[in-house]
Amino acid sequence: MSTTIQPERVLRELAELWVTLGKESDPAHSSGVLRACTMTLITLVEESEDPSDVWSTMAALMPEHPSRAIVIRFHPSGMRELASRVFSQCWMPFGHRRQICCEQIEISASDASLPDLAPVVLPLAVADLPVMVWCRSARLFGLPEFPQIARIAHKLLLDSSAFPDPAAILAQIQRTGKVAGDLAWTRLTRVRELISQIFESRSYLARLPELTQVAVTYGGTFPPTGAYYLAAWISECLESAGAHPHVKWQAAPDVGAGQISRLELTGPVEGGLHVAIFVSGDRAQQFAEVQIDTLASHAVFPPDNDYELLREELSIPGRDAVYEKSLARAGRLAAERQ
Amino acid sequence: MLCGATVRPCDKLKNMASANPFQDPLRFERRIPECAVAIFGANGDLTKRKLLPALYRLAYERRLSPGFAVVGISRTPMSDDQFRASMRESVAKFLEDSPFDEEVWSGFAQGLYYMAGDIGDSGAFSNLASHLNGIEECRHTAGNVLFYLSTQPSQYAAAAKGIGAAGLAAGNGWRRIVIEKPFGHDLESARELSGNLHEVFRESDVYRIDHYLGKETVQNILAFRFGNGIFEPLWDRRYVNSVQITAAESIGVEGRGGYYQEAGALRDMIQNHLLQIMATIAMEPSATFQPDAVRDERAKLLRTVRVMKPDEVLANSVSGQYGPARIGGADVPGFRQEKGVDGQSQTDTYAAATFFVDNWRWAGVPFYIRTGKRLPKRVTEIAIQFNEAPHAVFGGNDDGSTPNLLILRIQPEEGISLRFLSKRPGAGMKLRPVSMDFNYGTSFGERSPTAYETLLLDAMIGDATLYTRQDMVEASWGAVEPILNVWQNQKFDFPNYDAGTWGPKAADEMLARRGHTWRTP
Repeated sequence: MSTTIQPERVLRELAELWVTLGKESDPAHSSGVLRACTMTLITLVEESEDPSDVWSTMAALMPEHPSRAIVIRFHPSGMRELASRVFSQCWMPFGHRRQICCEQIEISASDASLPDLAPVVLPLAVADLPVMVWCRSARLFGLPEFPQIARIAHKLLLDSSAFPDPAAILAQIQRTGKVAGDLAWTRLTRVRELISQIFESRSYLARLPELTQVAVTYGGTFPPTGAYYLAAWISECLESAGAHPHVKWQAAPDVGAGQISRLELTGPVEGGLHVAIFVSGDRAQQFAEVQIDTLASHAVFPPDNDYELLREELSIPGRDAVYEKSLARAGRLAAERQ
Repeated sequence: MLCGATVRPCDKLKNMASANPFQDPLRFERRIPECAVAIFGANGDLTKRKLLPALYRLAYERRLSPGFAVVGISRTPMSDDQFRASMRESVAKFLEDSPFDEEVWSGFAQGLYYMAGDIGDSGAFSNLASHLNGIEECRHTAGNVLFYLSTQPSQYAAAAKGIGAAGLAAGNGWRRIVIEKPFGHDLESARELSGNLHEVFRESDVYRIDHYLGKETVQNILAFRFGNGIFEPLWDRRYVNSVQITAAESIGVEGRGGYYQEAGALRDMIQNHLLQIMATIAMEPSATFQPDAVRDERAKLLRTVRVMKPDEVLANSVSGQYGPARIGGADVPGFRQEKGVDGQSQTDTYAAATFFVDNWRWAGVPFYIRTGKRLPKRVTEIAIQFNEAPHAVFGGNDDGSTPNLLILRIQPEEGISLRFLSKRPGAGMKLRPVSMDFNYGTSFGERSPTAYETLLLDAMIGDATLYTRQDMVEASWGAVEPILNVWQNQKFDFPNYDAGTWGPKAADEMLARRGHTWRTP
């Protein structure tokens, strides 16, 4: 492996790629190849991680978020090593005759070469389009040189549920000062939607000030970041409606670590407004039972996978005020609990 | 019939937050507010095949409030449970591209109710009022009701009258009514229908379905025109040579010959859908994207469409009817051979017309509109042909006249193409046309909502963008009626095009008189 990558060479390889793709498509029998790009998506992974997972997520994202995808695979090594290869990911939308292709660059890098990466990767970003950096590794996020890569990002994406210390990671996300997307927050969108739907009702909306307790039941020995986010968001919303909630944490031994199984919003008065959401299932399929007083409904959630989460986050390139407020409060809740 | 829950004291409303603090517009889909839908004609095909599957799908997508309710009304005696069982069967059968989940259905079905009643019976509406009051109480629908008339158009007036007489047009919440086309069969009947509806409902509460133009399509055209700074300056008579709007179907009447011969292509497609497309393409920019602001501009455009004089009609319109042919190795019947069709029918299965818009932006620019059945392919597109360059610097090119062309494709694959000239690689200065394409990609395999899901959702939310307003209906009839008046006194020599071809020769001649030709999509 060499010690450096020349961005100009990589860009030349990309240009040659398009010429090759154009030649390979037979004009007599196809409509040619269409190049699509809306962003540069840089993904940081550990070399030990199965690359096919990452590439299949990239491929699934391409139709909706076509991008120049740069996957940087890190291996722990004290030697400064960098290598690259260039290829394309194409798909043919159902019923169409034309392929749509996106560029992909895979870079192998050692930890020691992290300081060298930003100057190499920055020229590879597509001009005039946002740069998204998705860090899949808690270890990489914690490296001192990580901010140099984060600097080039318009938005930084990570999954705080993979980090061992919720309070620490929530504080760290805030300290980046970047526009950030946490998949642990994204994972809550469906439950939050259900809660929001309940309070579209004027009669329930009128009773918001009755609610004084937010009880979150979770698996594991301490609440996951998702639980802190959820409690923080609900508390913020209730306070803005004139309520004064406190948060109650309940550990459930029969629930998998890191999962939220139950959420209850209650007031002090017996027979008062009572909202309960019970979540069950696994990442492939989750269900929710919703109970509000005498009404009950059943909801089916989409699968919880990187594709579903990322497609939501990539649709929001700018700041997310609701998330940022919830992040700040979640950080405080986690710090208080420790 | 209904639950025994007690009503919560209304004084709580005094402390009500004015808005839902849990909203997150960046991430959440639009929520349907608490409401009930009352479907007249609930035992009919439309309810079984389209409405209930669409509502179930909205429930599956978690778009409905927990207390959402449906009251089905028709003449057939049935209990609530029988109605639920019947709808369960229909939904399971007609659901498109979606799983049927028993538990989601079970929760959804809790909100389904039924009452037998005849639109002509005032007692049925009193009964409905009682049902809706009970539902408001135990399902927390806040008195919001959407009345959906899934009935014959001839019953619209009676249904509206019954709703009004029973005091159902007003209540604690909003009250809206949805009707489907045709909105009359000519200008006079359209006005009469509107008058009947307005005796009971405000215009803003009347939702007329015109679902040919999907929400995505309208938004895409508006986004293209008004979201970019570079196209709108060219969007007028100084740069645009002509506009062609094509809505072609490859299929015939598919067993609906009896209905179709009462309508014809001009009434069925041009009067409503295609003139709406034309309005969207030609309208002035609205100041906001609010539904009424957009509809105001579309209505204004339709009012400026030049009304043809009787002696102009035959030169500026073409009526066609397909004859039998052999397509793809199979014999295809002509329209007159279709089931339920009179063997001497004069119904137009193809219609084309040249319209002009009398305003500063479009004066003198022909808008050619055509639609037909049994044409070579299914395609809907708008082709905007620009004027040629004023001077051929490069001494002309091998391909003859190739003006710039902007194509807005609506179906089957939505997208935009821009055709322009580029130099051929190599020595010399020869030009060739190239096409720059953009496809609106829905993800591969991602399900798009059905038209009825979108329409029902919009009606319940109160977004009228997709719905036609009375002034738009009348303006459209105003443009089309002179053509109908002349055609109905003609004896056309039908059939005048073979199935599988692009329509009658007269349509080509209509354009040729202005030096134009139809684009072959």
